[in-house]
Amino acid sequence: MPEADANREPSPPRPWSMLRTFHVAVDWCEPLVEWIIRICGWSAILFVFAIFFFVFREGSEMLLGGLDLKEFFTSPNWRPDSVVRPQYGILALLAGTISVTGLAMLIAVPLGLGAAVYVAEFAGPRSKETLKVVIELLAAIPSVVWGFIGYMVLGPIIIWATGAPVGINVLNGGIILALMSVPIIVSVSEDALRAVPDSYREAALALGASRWEIVSRVLFPAAKNGLLAAVLLGVGRAIGETMAVLMATGHAVQIPHSLLDPVRTLTATIAAELGETVSGEEHYGVLFVIGIVLFAIAFVVNLTADLVVKGIRGEKHD
Amino acid sequence: MEQHIRFQDVSVSYGTQVALQDISLEIPRNQIFGIIGPANSGKTTLLKCINRTIDFIGSAKVQGQVQVDGQDVNRLRNVYDLRRRVGMVFPLPVGLPLTVYENVAYAPRRAGLFDRHELDALVEKCLRQAVLWDEVKDRLQTLGTKLSGGQQQRLTLARALSHRPEILCLDEFSIAIDPVTTMKIEDVLLELKQEMTIVLVTNLVQQAHRLADHTAFFNNSQLIETGPTEKMFTEPDDKLTYAYVTGGFG
Amino acid sequence: MTEPNSDCLQYFVTGTSEEEPRSSSDADGSREQPFTSLRQALEALGTDTSRTPSSDGNRGGPTVMLTCIARAGASPPPNGTPSHQYFVDPFTPARGKGTEQAPWDSFEVAYAKLTDLARSQQLALRVGDRLEICCREVFTATALEKWKNIKEAIAKYVFLTMALTCFLPVVVILTFLLVKAWPALSVDFLVTNPQNNLTAGGIWAPLIGTFFLVLTSLLVAAPIGILAGVYLNEYASDNWITRIINLAVMNLAGVPSIVHALFGVGAFVHFAYMGRSLLAAACTVAVMTLPVIITSTREALAAVPMSFREACWNMGATRWQTIRTIVLPNSIAGILTGVILQVARAAGETAPILFTGAVLYVPIADAGWEYMVPYGPNDRFMALSYHLFALSTQIRGISDELLYGTAVVLIGLVLLVNSFAIGLRIFLRSRKKW
Repeated sequence: MPEADANREPSPPRPWSMLRTFHVAVDWCEPLVEWIIRICGWSAILFVFAIFFFVFREGSEMLLGGLDLKEFFTSPNWRPDSVVRPQYGILALLAGTISVTGLAMLIAVPLGLGAAVYVAEFAGPRSKETLKVVIELLAAIPSVVWGFIGYMVLGPIIIWATGAPVGINVLNGGIILALMSVPIIVSVSEDALRAVPDSYREAALALGASRWEIVSRVLFPAAKNGLLAAVLLGVGRAIGETMAVLMATGHAVQIPHSLLDPVRTLTATIAAELGETVSGEEHYGVLFVIGIVLFAIAFVVNLTADLVVKGIRGEKHD
Repeated sequence: MEQHIRFQDVSVSYGTQVALQDISLEIPRNQIFGIIGPANSGKTTLLKCINRTIDFIGSAKVQGQVQVDGQDVNRLRNVYDLRRRVGMVFPLPVGLPLTVYENVAYAPRRAGLFDRHELDALVEKCLRQAVLWDEVKDRLQTLGTKLSGGQQQRLTLARALSHRPEILCLDEFSIAIDPVTTMKIEDVLLELKQEMTIVLVTNLVQQAHRLADHTAFFNNSQLIETGPTEKMFTEPDDKLTYAYVTGGFG
Repeated sequence: MTEPNSDCLQYFVTGTSEEEPRSSSDADGSREQPFTSLRQALEALGTDTSRTPSSDGNRGGPTVMLTCIARAGASPPPNGTPSHQYFVDPFTPARGKGTEQAPWDSFEVAYAKLTDLARSQQLALRVGDRLEICCREVFTATALEKWKNIKEAIAKYVFLTMALTCFLPVVVILTFLLVKAWPALSVDFLVTNPQNNLTAGGIWAPLIGTFFLVLTSLLVAAPIGILAGVYLNEYASDNWITRIINLAVMNLAGVPSIVHALFGVGAFVHFAYMGRSLLAAACTVAVMTLPVIITSTREALAAVPMSFREACWNMGATRWQTIRTIVLPNSIAGILTGVILQVARAAGETAPILFTGAVLYVPIADAGWEYMVPYGPNDRFMALSYHLFALSTQIRGISDELLYGTAVVLIGLVLLVNSFAIGLRIFLRSRKKW
């Protein structure tokens, strides 16, 4: 057996091979590679901290001094350009965000959950696949396109249907945001429904339950955490959305009294005004403070969604 | 007789569950060492201790010493070298998603063997030893995962032999293989013991009887008895062992 | 149920209601010699046990049918729904009412009860009527179950409507956009630069700007994202730092895009002295789209069975060798899908590039090298998404078709890239190696 132990014995010098050199080189670098991988893995934490740090850094001057926080949160007057006395109250902007997000969720949550139930429980395999692909594609439509649709298509429709003086308002923004958040609500809640073990469905079927009874009495209670997380993620997306609301909600800083009032949201304010400011001035700093507020809201919403989802897993272990 | 592997007061636990309890065992060189015992008695865990793949189970805690050639495996600097010295075959066949050829050439390549002729020879030899060569010699370029279950299991065996191990650990290797092939492999094992120490964990008591020089009986995470196979199967010291080898266990 | 089957006993009754029985002994219920009244029929059936079908658990089978015909020998009425239907089920509590919900427990009881009813004139058969006593069938829909089925159908269509309400408007809108944009769409539109204060010409400058933005952000995000995914799936053990990383990835995905823009302004434009440039914008977009790559890389890696890794480790391969030789080659396509999704997302983002480098108009050459590579990393650039925003809100006197054309090209680009990723995924799923 001449070939025996070929790789153990010191074999005669082998012909040079590029492949071999490459492999040896790559393996020799293993500790280095591992450290690079590790650092990249940790980079996600780094980036989150960096986002907070840099947004805070730019806004800190205003936040720690100069900005009256009470006025900031409770005053509806947003007059950053006033020469006499600039006022930075975000109450109206908050009201804008809340009204548009609230309307969007009123539309999107029932529709999204319904669509998720249809996709998960009623649709046949073929239409299920098709619908899921459609959902994925809808989720990919850029927000500026949604804004464009709201501005150019939905606006005139609203004017025609309601006789409102302007077409870009709470209603417009709400509908656009609803259409935008539906895909994420559908896909996350569909996951949650699918995560309910089939044994639950089978047990219910064995007891003579109809599909509708399974959905309402078994699936909803079993998947409620996942569905809640889906709603929260939808809310998070709606609050943070910028381009669509910038283009579709109008530019009036006011607390809305009806669906047809134009409003301005927190995100749209930053997008609309940051370009006019100069680094270091008050107005610039205040916009970054709004950014901190948004970051905090997003953090809380996401953390809650995560904890809610973890809740599902905890229950399953019982 | 020269000892090859030595377990000294080895205990392993997964979280709160004890898998091995105070095992002290010596496995002689160039022999087939049979390990028998009912399911869940810690046999597989014992094998994983030898090449330290137990490290990959996060919850496992190992106490005591495992020595290979007198060296404590837990103190080894180069654990990969240790794993190359130990061939492992687990009950479920795993064909890597590479070609049959690459499956067998995988370990030698990782160890630095790139010469085409040497590799060809080595692959053929390992496949022959695993009684697989005749079936796959015309399709060395098909995917290992496309072979049948029994063929994949023999491929696993060929892979375990490909890095010319000093120790070959077989964990119920014959589960997925038909009896005729099993007999052929058993013959190969008898030949192979000239070159290496073989640790054979098996559910088939008769297989241990046929092949093993020494046999150990495990039950309930404990080593009940060990000794020469003939003695274990005819007049064991322990009643439990007798019950197990004669099929009256329960 | 009206179809007479092997277990069906059929008897006939003549319609003349309270005529004195001519001779009860003659009547045997056949068509030629029918019973003369319902009462007589029921009494006769009740006394003669041989005429009672066995209700011994052979559910759904035996049926007793009494058909009322005009006179002896007349042909029976066509089959139809019986006018009186009673149910028997030996497995129910004794006190039933003969209805489907509460059946009697045997045929004897049924005869007795029905005879009582016939005597007290509460039950009578007219010509053509048919009375049926049958065993309740277990597998036949009861009225309750029928109602359940209807409810289920209603639920199904309500949910279907909800699903369609989510998607159909969008499809309609997209079609509308396409129709409006149709006159503008041509190759010329794609490869011509904007002219005349953006009110004419094509969209080449923003299109190529988006291309370079995506390419640069990909160069930044792909290595970091893929390696981070590798770390999370292959190296990280289940401890607190892994949990924090997961939380961080999720948060990174949830941070509003405008906050990413602020981060870009603070970190890249000012702190890193990149100024408003392609590089700063690309870095901002890269950080924003990082979670997309990380998540899909993880999923792709997790799809490779653990047993492959264990087999390699058992042969003495190191972790990195295992990853390089087995794990990555078998998940590279899944990872690519994630990268492509990142591309689609980066191409559509507007908010993060608003203040980090995108501008309304950059004059670029109409031919030559400058035409193909108009922006350096430190240049401000035009991007398709920002271009659409600017055209629709800041430029007056622009033709509809130019506007809609830009929108449709952007949508088309994003959807095309996305469909490619989806197609790749479906294709890969169809030819797995294990």
